[in-house]
Amino acid sequence: MTLKRIGEIDFSLLFASIILTIFGILFIYSSGVTSLGVSVSNEHIKQITWAVAGVLIALIVALTDYRRLYDWSLYLYIFFIVLLIYTRFFGKLVNGARAWVGIGSFGIQPSEFAKITTILFLARYLDQSSRSHNSFFRFLVSCLIVFAPVLVILAQPDLGTTLVFIPILLIMTYIAGLSLRYVSYLALIILLTGILTILPLWETYIMGGRFPSLLFITNSKVVLFLLFSFLLTTLISIFGFNRYKKNYFYWLAYGFSIGTISLLFSFAAQHVLKEYQVMRLIVFLNPNIDARGSGWNIIQSITAIGSGGFFGKGYLQGTQSHYRFLPEQSTDFIFSIFSEEWGFIGGIIVFSLFLLICLRLIRIMKTTSDPFGAYIAAGLSALYSFHFIINVGMTMGIMPITGIPLLFMSYGGSSLLASMIGIGLACSIYVRRYEH
Amino acid sequence: MALPLRSGETRPLARIKILQGLFIALFSIYALRLFIMQVISGDLYRSRAQNIAQRTTTLIAQRGEIYDRNYDRPMVLNVDSFAVNLTPAEVPKGQIPVIMERLASVLGVPKEKIQKTVPPQYYQLYHPLQVASNVSFTTIGQIAEHMDQFPGVSWQSKPIRSYVDPGSLAHIVGYVGDITQDELKVLYNQGYQQGNIIGKAGIEKEYDPILRGRDGYETKVVDVRGKRVSVENNTLIEPPIMGKNLVLTIDQSIQTLAEKALGQRMGAVVVSRPSTGEILAMVSYPWYDPNIFNTNDISTEYQSLLDDPKKPLLNRAIQSNYPPASTFKVIMTTGILNEKAFPPDKTIECKGELNYGGRIWKDWIGKPGHGPLDLKGGLAQSCDIYFWVVGRDYLGPERIVSYSKDFGLGDLTNVDLPGEIPGFIPTPQWKERRFHEKWQGGDTMNMSIGQGYTLVTPIQMADMVSMIVNDGTIYKPHLLKEIRDPVSGAVIKSIQPEVLHKSDIPPDIFKTVRDNMRAVITEGTARFPVNIKAVEIAGKTGTGEVGLADRWHSWFVAFAPYETDKPEDRIVVSIIVEATNNWEWWAPYASAIIFQGVFAHQTFQEAVKALGFQYLMPQRERRE
Repeated sequence: MTLKRIGEIDFSLLFASIILTIFGILFIYSSGVTSLGVSVSNEHIKQITWAVAGVLIALIVALTDYRRLYDWSLYLYIFFIVLLIYTRFFGKLVNGARAWVGIGSFGIQPSEFAKITTILFLARYLDQSSRSHNSFFRFLVSCLIVFAPVLVILAQPDLGTTLVFIPILLIMTYIAGLSLRYVSYLALIILLTGILTILPLWETYIMGGRFPSLLFITNSKVVLFLLFSFLLTTLISIFGFNRYKKNYFYWLAYGFSIGTISLLFSFAAQHVLKEYQVMRLIVFLNPNIDARGSGWNIIQSITAIGSGGFFGKGYLQGTQSHYRFLPEQSTDFIFSIFSEEWGFIGGIIVFSLFLLICLRLIRIMKTTSDPFGAYIAAGLSALYSFHFIINVGMTMGIMPITGIPLLFMSYGGSSLLASMIGIGLACSIYVRRYEH
Repeated sequence: MALPLRSGETRPLARIKILQGLFIALFSIYALRLFIMQVISGDLYRSRAQNIAQRTTTLIAQRGEIYDRNYDRPMVLNVDSFAVNLTPAEVPKGQIPVIMERLASVLGVPKEKIQKTVPPQYYQLYHPLQVASNVSFTTIGQIAEHMDQFPGVSWQSKPIRSYVDPGSLAHIVGYVGDITQDELKVLYNQGYQQGNIIGKAGIEKEYDPILRGRDGYETKVVDVRGKRVSVENNTLIEPPIMGKNLVLTIDQSIQTLAEKALGQRMGAVVVSRPSTGEILAMVSYPWYDPNIFNTNDISTEYQSLLDDPKKPLLNRAIQSNYPPASTFKVIMTTGILNEKAFPPDKTIECKGELNYGGRIWKDWIGKPGHGPLDLKGGLAQSCDIYFWVVGRDYLGPERIVSYSKDFGLGDLTNVDLPGEIPGFIPTPQWKERRFHEKWQGGDTMNMSIGQGYTLVTPIQMADMVSMIVNDGTIYKPHLLKEIRDPVSGAVIKSIQPEVLHKSDIPPDIFKTVRDNMRAVITEGTARFPVNIKAVEIAGKTGTGEVGLADRWHSWFVAFAPYETDKPEDRIVVSIIVEATNNWEWWAPYASAIIFQGVFAHQTFQEAVKALGFQYLMPQRERRE
């Protein structure tokens, strides 16, 4: 660790994250203020504590050589997976999930830190394996590295957090130069599964049942038939490719196997998804379907943001927030209260700060000579941008409710610390970008 | 193009550039969406935000009061009282259990009850929760003086229904309570809501729509937890409409008289005016205190009422069936006369017992019997043998049934109280269906003297006498006399007599029956207690078998004055004293006291003294 290099830190990255954190603290305070102007919550105090600790840790990490983590990454990764398993069984039950572990009121959410450790470990693997194995094998192992924590987190259950790992995986492998066909394979499966899962809901609730043919996904006979035929086609194509080495066989197998897997997953999803999760999807399509129940949050959030106007209603003057119409104001809907009170101006500033962070990370990816560092930066950019896209999208009604926080701004010690560690890592990579 | 890097590693610049472009594109789309929401559609959302923030609360209407026919003193009042509320979210964190304990001790309510009203999942609520009602002003004062010890505690005026010295009026007036889910299911489209008060029994229930008025409402700006927000032009009010006052046909003095005359004996009294059907008094013992439904431990009190084997909640005047016993002979008399089934002057020899169907039927008087009796004598002496013979051999069960129905037995009287039961008239077909046995002559004999399967209520007996008094018309018995405006006292509606039933039997038959009923008092079974000087009474005794060797139901049904120029002055009294009491043959005595009190304008004590009944009263009653 060396203090001399402190001047070389990427200050725009650091300050962007600090400003976002300060915004977060301001509006966590606002969310705790009643309509009479009395503060009834001390979440902002806790957030300040974590923020100070976070910035310190970020600085410390920034000034150390991130390469030291190269060897440690495996142990950290395994440690957090074990901790996740422990949390799944012995963690505190909060809102129906065991994601929190601790003593008394001190505790952490291991899944937040697991995101960082997975990024680290995957980056290391991608760097290590670049010479030794072929693209396909590397992709497969990358998937496994990510799926391990995903499975445990899914068991908590916490569907929202597991979703973050997918863009991390995709972007890291993409930047690592893995063959595009594999990356797009996974991407297409995810996309198609999502579409097929939503399709029957959209048809039933939005189109009012006018296109029953779109409900084919729910009909097990039809699905079975399609599955069977797709699988057959895939197998025949594989056989054909092996035998005749014609490229079109390859692509047939590629396409139909995507179809098979997506069909399978979306069909399974309909039966595995719990009712509240299905409601979230339905209500995302049209919040008015359950305006007083599951749709309430989205409607309130959109109303709050929309009524903010260009300049906002003013700090501590928001009506939807202070009259308690907006739920979860310090966590999931922190952007809503921010946007209600600071309007479009405030919103654009937050967007720009997040974009700045992502672009700085892109710059790191481009300029650092160490692939390990580049991949870490890629993973971090996926992490921050995904949280932003899903959370802010949810508040604006263009994404379904998933319950993931807005990094830096939402109330929560573990996510803030993990995000700060990420920033510290990025700074550390940037400082040492010419050294490796 | 790849960067010059370590060998074997491809980190395509192009891909990074694509990623960069992707980020910029996504952020731009989001910025556009934000712009649309806030700048372009901003007004739409602002107005929506305003609408969500308004909330309406109900202003409860005052319930109507209930008076007796003299309209001077209400039987039911709305008494100002307070309800104490706790708003959990206004209590500092962690203090809620402490506050609940303090409240429990100052209110005198068990701590568990408060804890039950405010369970932990409500600790974040800004809505006030009622923890106690019927709280006195003094207690409120105590809380107010130490307000700093009671954060989150508030109170509001909540009038309670106070029953003024109800006594036996409990069964008539009834009581109120919070509306239940089952009631809401039925009444949802009549404007009732969760938390409304609704009548549960008696007049409170029967005329609830008139008594309850209509709630008003107040719209104000609040937050989603219902907490009021300080903004100008905050409230919009529609005032509530108060419930109407009811004036009943009951005469308090006659009610008290009847209540004391019955005393602490299980049974019922109905005093009515046959010319209009108005009920002047209705007593059913045991009664209960409806004010218990206003206390904070209703459930224990109510449970003990339910568990009481004497069934105090039962209104025996309309909800309890008894065999009419010898009072039925009045109907027999009417039938015999109208059908000319047996010459009224012809006598039948009563030897005290009869042999029929393989068993001995004993007249109540025993051997050697009454001797020869004609129709009038048979009724006056209540000779069973006379009516057994005539009923079985000359009138027959079909005609007896038809006359019973003509007198309204087996049917509801439609009195304006809930829960009336219709009694029962057996028929040969019914017996065949029910028991798969043929109707025997013995059944006819039982029926002729009002035993067997026949069941009546005291109010039906009153109607029976009314029909005889009115020459064949029964007016619907009712308790409501007038509906009055609560503020001005003006009469909004006056209830007119309504014909329940008109019989074809000619008036002279009824005259003869009335004469025969007078004979019961002048020379018959009731001559000792009921032949009083204050007024001429005509009626019929009844002593119902219940299977016990030493106790019987004691009936007395009568009217007075026997002869008058002003028929609208007549009253009818129908009393039953159950066999569950110690045997006193009390019904005729009670009737005498009532008639004495009414026509000599005397109180209970004075009437007892005037009649010389003091020696009959147990120590306790005499001192009343």
